[in-house]
Amino acid sequence: MESIGNKKASASRLSNVLTDVHFWVPVVVLLAGLLLLSFMR
Amino acid sequence: MTSAAQPLDSAAMERASRSKTLQLLGILSGFTAGAWLGAAEAPTKLVSTGISPMAISLIMVIGVFLARWSLPALILGTSSIRADVRRAPHLIIWAILAGCLWAVANTLTIFAIRDIGLSIAFPLWNSNSLLGIFWGFLFFNELRQAGWRRWTGVLGGALVMCVGATLLAIASSAQGPAGHSFRGVWAALGAGVLWGTMYIPYRKAYLTGMNPLSFVTFFTFGELGMMSALAIGYTGFAPLWKELLAARSVVFWLMLGGFIWVIGDLFQQYAAKYVGISRGIPLSNSNQFWGLLWGILVFGELHGRSSSTYAQVVGGSLLMMLGVGAVAFSSASGEEQTRWKEAAQREGRRYGVAADYVEARMDGRQAAGELAPSRSVWDWLLVAAASAVFVVFATMARVPQMSLHWGPAALLVAALLVLLFICTLALWRTTRFH
Repeated sequence: MESIGNKKASASRLSNVLTDVHFWVPVVVLLAGLLLLSFMR
Repeated sequence: MTSAAQPLDSAAMERASRSKTLQLLGILSGFTAGAWLGAAEAPTKLVSTGISPMAISLIMVIGVFLARWSLPALILGTSSIRADVRRAPHLIIWAILAGCLWAVANTLTIFAIRDIGLSIAFPLWNSNSLLGIFWGFLFFNELRQAGWRRWTGVLGGALVMCVGATLLAIASSAQGPAGHSFRGVWAALGAGVLWGTMYIPYRKAYLTGMNPLSFVTFFTFGELGMMSALAIGYTGFAPLWKELLAARSVVFWLMLGGFIWVIGDLFQQYAAKYVGISRGIPLSNSNQFWGLLWGILVFGELHGRSSSTYAQVVGGSLLMMLGVGAVAFSSASGEEQTRWKEAAQREGRRYGVAADYVEARMDGRQAAGELAPSRSVWDWLLVAAASAVFVVFATMARVPQMSLHWGPAALLVAALLVLLFICTLALWRTTRFH
């Protein structure tokens, strides 16, 4: 029972992260930075 | 009536006094961060050319990695880090993300300096504090209901600091741009955007209650992982390894630079925690002023330069101090702090973090039922292993043949140690590093 509860909590936490704008803004900026670096080369 | 109101008033007064103390602590942390981050440049100046910037960055980051694990283990113990992670495991993602952002930004600055020179590149990436203010306002309720006086102080102070930084960068730049100006401007702006955005994870972690000492231990995985990937990607594994082996005699100085940088960064994290990113970041951006003090007074960098260069240095330094003062005197009002708490509660609700834990950590206290941090034998082993690595490289280090002014160096080191002592004592007395 506890293991099912833990899995549910982890899934819900992951879904909270993936729907959080505070996550996506840095991710997008990081990808743009990597893209910029690849142009620099 | 009176007897019922009195305890309420006294509790409110106690809260207000605690909040004021934490604000002062954040400002002091910001000042100390600037001094230590600026001093981190000093050991790297002992390294002569012949090593690629990518290898220099990687070696510094290795020193940073060792310091980011050994210092928290020494101060609170890794049990405290584990406890923090159990309460808010989602923040590991943001810590690693912030580390990756730092590494990419740092690499972009190498290209920016090469293409447009430090004098143009520095002010461009120093705009990160303005972006930090924007993200703080947009996402974390910073400067909400702050009033025009505080807005002017923070925004005006950050802008004045940018102008001061520009003057200092012009004065300290040794050579003109080497071409590819368009590419260099993009690289510098990109670094500013990446560093400015890196403060989103910082603020998110500290609003949710994570201890800065816990955050940096995961941050460094992103930092070292991304830096290693970039260094290998750009140089190739075999040439990079060859370069690292050839640089054996200077590894210690670079790692020492990384170690000093971590001390500054830890104070920057406490500044971001207690005064927010909108104020903490501009304060710690005063590192350029300290770096220049080391350059001029200890390494004699501007010796023989024109009087206009010295005028730029004096003018830039005064503007930097004016900007720091304006930001420092614009501490958050009670209404603004209420908005910070709303943002913290929102984070707690979203990720299921206990409200009493979030509130206690915002006040720099231990939460009820939280075990006192303790160090185990593993923590001491970790500290011993990190120290051993530094000692091994210190035995290989070669003292470079260059003229240094030891008097000013001793004064600057004394100033650093005094700031370290005062700020550490204040943090310990007020928060016990929570």
